Amino acid sequence: MIGTKRKGGSGFALRRRPVSFLFVAALALPLILLAQNPPHPNPVKQRGLVMAPDFSGVWFIDEYRRNLLPKEDPPFQPWALQKFKALQEEKIHQDPDDGPDPTERCIPPGIPREMGQPFPFEIVQARDRVIMIFEYQSLIRQIFTDGRGHPQDLEPTYMGNAIGHYEGDTLVIDTVGFNDKTWLDPMGLPHSDQLHVVERLRRVDHDTLVDEYTIDDPKAYTKPWTAQKVFKLKPDWQIKEYVCAENNNVK
Amino acid sequence: MKRFLIPALALLCGLPASRPLAAHHSSSSYDMEHPVNMKGVASKVEWTNPHVFIFLNVKDEMGSVEEWRVEGNSPNMLTRVGWKSDMIKPGDELLVNGAAAKNGAKVMRLISVTLANGQKYDGQGFK
Repeated sequence: MIGTKRKGGSGFALRRRPVSFLFVAALALPLILLAQNPPHPNPVKQRGLVMAPDFSGVWFIDEYRRNLLPKEDPPFQPWALQKFKALQEEKIHQDPDDGPDPTERCIPPGIPREMGQPFPFEIVQARDRVIMIFEYQSLIRQIFTDGRGHPQDLEPTYMGNAIGHYEGDTLVIDTVGFNDKTWLDPMGLPHSDQLHVVERLRRVDHDTLVDEYTIDDPKAYTKPWTAQKVFKLKPDWQIKEYVCAENNNVK
Repeated sequence: MKRFLIPALALLCGLPASRPLAAHHSSSSYDMEHPVNMKGVASKVEWTNPHVFIFLNVKDEMGSVEEWRVEGNSPNMLTRVGWKSDMIKPGDELLVNGAAAKNGAKVMRLISVTLANGQKYDGQGFK
């Protein structure tokens, strides 16, 4: 009985302790945060941050299309043209359950294809980076805007390594460090591990975001070429769950 | 050791059998330029990622029934245009508009579905 009482007593004390502890903690929190995050040492950058254009929100491709370049062919290197043509032939006869598109096996679509998928993405702007949260395949893209360069020892990845900076109303994104396992668009435009994508992202009006790409990949194309995607703001949408790995196999 | 080995071996043996086919289809397999209408009776609905599957029994010209697999977009996009997971039940009569597989398989990419009550739903979720 004594033990029970003691437990009860300490329980009472425990119930009170968090309240008082929380109170003190709440008072101390701003001081702790201030100590950990002193004012930004670079006032120019800080001023730049205030002036950074606001891209935040959920965006969705304006007109989904399968060709990155709707009207003409990009300047293929011979092997790239051959690969692309063979793929179009293959598609005519393909088994819908075993097609050549890497995304059918839940392989990430890479950049720039992920940006144009018919699924929304959300842009979140943080102090040192812009974060894109893609619904398609639940992928995240981080574009570092704190002035760092690309790492020297980049290993190839699906989404590449992205850095960015603001030029007035435009966010310029520079992405390298890709593997060659993705397509540039749903039609299957090939690329190599030398792919270098430069994007100029601009909010042309409240509801419209335009992304202009320059695709520079000397192994796959004879010269750099450009394309464009337009996104519309979806103020009532939020990013939802998308589980590619389920792959229509869970019953 | 046995405790770990047996499940590990079981898992390894099971792998080839359970390796999923690529059941997530890009629209390149389908004749998107020439959509067609089909009437049928739903036998099963799979509310799965990345595509919602409706299995539809369709009578051909000779009167024999063929099962078609009709693929809508993913649950997240379809719910944005009003779909509910229990909206279509086995036995429901449906009119579907979509693109059939180019290779002749009885598989269709859904563009729209009309329920028996006349309600029409976008099957791609981004029109």
